[in-house]
Amino acid sequence: MESYITKYCIIKPNEVIVDGKVVITNEDQSEFGPYMKSIYKQYDIKYPKYFKMDNLCKLAFLGAEIVLLENENVKKLDPVKVGVILQNSHSSLDTDIKYNETIKDKSNYFPSPAVFVYTLPNVMIGEICIRNKFQGENSCFIAKKFDPDFMTDYVNDLLNNDKLDACITGWVDYIDGEYSAMMFLVEKNKENKKDSISFRPELVNRLIK
Amino acid sequence: MNRIYTIADNIISSLGFTSEENFTNLKDGISGINQTSDPKITQVPLQVSQVDSERLNSEFSKLSNPEDFTRLEKLMILSISDALKQTDLDPANNETLFIFSSVKGNIDLIENENHPFDKDRINLWAIADKVLEFFKVQTKPVFISNACISGLTAIIAASHYLKTNKYKNVIVCGGDIISEFTPSGFQSFKAVSENPCKPFDANRDGITLGEGAGTIIFTTDKNHVKEENPVIYRGGANTNDANHISGPSRTGDGLYYAIRNALNEAEKNNTEIDYISGHGTATPYNDEMESKAIAWAKLNHVPVNSLKAYWGHTLGAAGIIESIAGIHSIKENCLIKSLGYSEHGVSEDINVIRDYKEQKIKNFLKTASGFGGSNAAVYFSELNAD
Repeated sequence: MESYITKYCIIKPNEVIVDGKVVITNEDQSEFGPYMKSIYKQYDIKYPKYFKMDNLCKLAFLGAEIVLLENENVKKLDPVKVGVILQNSHSSLDTDIKYNETIKDKSNYFPSPAVFVYTLPNVMIGEICIRNKFQGENSCFIAKKFDPDFMTDYVNDLLNNDKLDACITGWVDYIDGEYSAMMFLVEKNKENKKDSISFRPELVNRLIK
Repeated sequence: MNRIYTIADNIISSLGFTSEENFTNLKDGISGINQTSDPKITQVPLQVSQVDSERLNSEFSKLSNPEDFTRLEKLMILSISDALKQTDLDPANNETLFIFSSVKGNIDLIENENHPFDKDRINLWAIADKVLEFFKVQTKPVFISNACISGLTAIIAASHYLKTNKYKNVIVCGGDIISEFTPSGFQSFKAVSENPCKPFDANRDGITLGEGAGTIIFTTDKNHVKEENPVIYRGGANTNDANHISGPSRTGDGLYYAIRNALNEAEKNNTEIDYISGHGTATPYNDEMESKAIAWAKLNHVPVNSLKAYWGHTLGAAGIIESIAGIHSIKENCLIKSLGYSEHGVSEDINVIRDYKEQKIKNFLKTASGFGGSNAAVYFSELNAD
């Protein structure tokens, strides 16, 4: 059985690509924060919790918002059969370093729970699940580089074994101002989008080139 | 479908360097939690479960130079080595996959800017690289960092590879260490107890942290199975509460779905479970949520414990070492007392184990829940359970 990419989104420092088309360019070479805020505004997202998130979660959250935009099909599925399975390289290291700054100096010791909670890479998955009420398999894998062979294999297994009907998957990495998100909405049912692409590693590799 | 046999395991913790040593201490009701005032770890006296550093280095020096590896790498290499010794597996063959789980990895390196290792070593994948280099393994590993359910996520991932015949053997290894980072964070949440934790008890007031590593070796190849009645993995599931990133669902729905789906995959119903190894962190909300999920699954009658008052919460190791304790509960037909529990403190009438007991155990369920809203459940039984 085949599963399909019904929408995909690539967020890079210079542009946002959705289904192969450049939809936003970061012409002013804005830094991460203002650039993400401009994406948030462009998509008219209204979710105050976004502003509490760390950079990794902001990136993952926006990627998920974009791939789910105008998709009515996923909303109708059993929430326990919609998964979020992501991979990254630097885990939550960017926030780990920020948190460590708060405990490093014993004369200025102020560990913050609001920062500490983001020292887990799977919290980006939790944020997407909370926003969309997804309750299926949620796993965070760590690898040096995005591994489409691994991710397509793992996610297709879950879809083929009826554990999931749809999954948000891909790569989201953020470290010290360097970042990339490559996120795919993968569904078993492609009725709502006839030109969908099979979720296979060679096709994923072509899309992210 | 392939049968997934467990053929070897190891636990390294405050309670010993083998599964047997650890399990004997559990049977005797001995806790590995002690108070520390080590300034490298805490600003105030802290209850914690730590691996004996001297023993770690002396055991490790039999394998390699302790100075070439981080604390976590040493724990993982020792744990995998001991598990491998129990088998005839060659870890370097291409039929064997390594799956690692850790929440914070080499986090101690972040606190010590003068550490002797290369900069990349802070990354989780670098730990896998280093461990596999030690075992001369070429096969690309899988690394999972899924908060407190990491260990169970790794076991569930192992089952994917074995069921689909992509690998014949999977070595699952999970671990985490104690440094200042994790205790200070949980303290900032006011989630750490001043006393050894008391899971499911009326006076529970937070977690106790711990460190350690655990390894389970799974195979689908009968030729590697030495026991007549080995423990097998039957099913598992991972779900999300979709409720709050740092607080569990009030209803227990996420954990209930994980239990339901694990039972479905195991083709088992709720009358067959002999024992539940709970997560039982001893925070007010977690234990309450677990009791609701257990009741929802109609498992109130089943003996349940939490092992957190023995080992503390060992994060990426927890799901693995607590599953190993369950495997040994089947092998030795006994129920480990839920240490720290005296006065029932959750709203549902779940059957928390008050005293060590010997009785036939054929099947057990292991559950876990964590930050990010994640929940997981896995089901093990002895081969002759049916």
